[in-house]
Amino acid sequence: MNDCMNAEIRDQLPELVHDRLDAARRAEILSHVEACAECRDEIELLRAARAMFEAQTPRVDVCYVVNALPLAKPRPVGVQRGRAVWTDWRIAAAITLLVAGGSSVAVLRRDPGTAMALRQTVQTPPVRRADGRSDSSGSSAQARPAPAAPSEPTPRALVATDAQGSGIGASRLGDLTEQQLEALLGEIDQLQATPVTDPEPVSLHVRENTSGAPEGA
Amino acid sequence: MNQAARGAGAGRESDDQVDAELIARWKAGDERAATALVERHAAALARFAVASGERSDVDELVQDTFVRAFNSLHGFRGDSSFRTWLFTIERRLLLDRRRAEKRRRDRTEIQEDDAATEYDALDSVLADETQRRVRAAVERLSPTQREVFTLRVAEGLSYKEIAEAVGTTEGAARVHYHNAMRSVKEFLDE
Repeated sequence: MNDCMNAEIRDQLPELVHDRLDAARRAEILSHVEACAECRDEIELLRAARAMFEAQTPRVDVCYVVNALPLAKPRPVGVQRGRAVWTDWRIAAAITLLVAGGSSVAVLRRDPGTAMALRQTVQTPPVRRADGRSDSSGSSAQARPAPAAPSEPTPRALVATDAQGSGIGASRLGDLTEQQLEALLGEIDQLQATPVTDPEPVSLHVRENTSGAPEGA
Repeated sequence: MNQAARGAGAGRESDDQVDAELIARWKAGDERAATALVERHAAALARFAVASGERSDVDELVQDTFVRAFNSLHGFRGDSSFRTWLFTIERRLLLDRRRAEKRRRDRTEIQEDDAATEYDALDSVLADETQRRVRAAVERLSPTQREVFTLRVAEGLSYKEIAEAVGTTEGAARVHYHNAMRSVKEFLDE
């Protein structure tokens, strides 16, 4: 059995057998086959081989195959993963802030002394004394009214300041003479008259421009 | 356009379109589409299995092929035809089976009588003398030549489709086919 010399035609003989050529190409090849004994022999061989493949193959039980197939599960559409991630982060951040804030409040409520000290520290502005020194705690306490809640303990900062003697302690007032009391009141009057928001003295150092160049050049 | 493929492909586009529509229906939840797909391709898969030397459990192999295909059907992009994709899956399963079979045979003696019995039983199925001789000729081909020859002759696949299914190039598929055809002709001429 010889091969046809027209390799292009011979290459498409399987397509001819399976009827997979368009009409024009099919007509072209058929006209060649009519005059070509080698191509006719090869077509007979292809048909015999195809019949052999079909004859030797057992019939497949379609139901047996289909019964084992997975069920079709339509996939949900429209889930935007990017937005979900951002939402997750926002929720996590909110939970973190709530936990941190709640813990702080719990700690402060458990220790009232610390809470009071912190409150005093935050609320007390630095007070300038008559001698020009600034005092942020001790002496200013005398000028403020007593705390509204009598049950609250005395802040440790105030006690410590009094003990250092920077001001006049309440336990020593009864030992003072009339003159000393008058002097003390005068000092207090001076303290109240002194504005607490005096601007800091500013010293300007002006350098002389000896080069004659314009400023900013 | 390749000269050899000139005018070829008629009917393939419509086949691929039908498969694509059935796949879309199955993805949408239509179970009958799965049955239609199996009916369209089961016989071809069985032919390829038998021609590749699979003697027993052809139903099981075809079933495994479809199960694996449907399990990953959501990822099927349609770069190749559905049938070509099925052949690719079945070929991998066949190779896995052969490796397992080889390991088993390494542990036990080869039963020569069983092979002869299978050969005779198959011959009785083929009543036609020409078919018997063609089958004997195909049996002598190398595994790759047999795969390419089967897909080209029994299924009418193009060289491009064969290359995708077998995992080779289009040119190599053409060479394998023509070498196989020459060997078959030489055997029949003896």
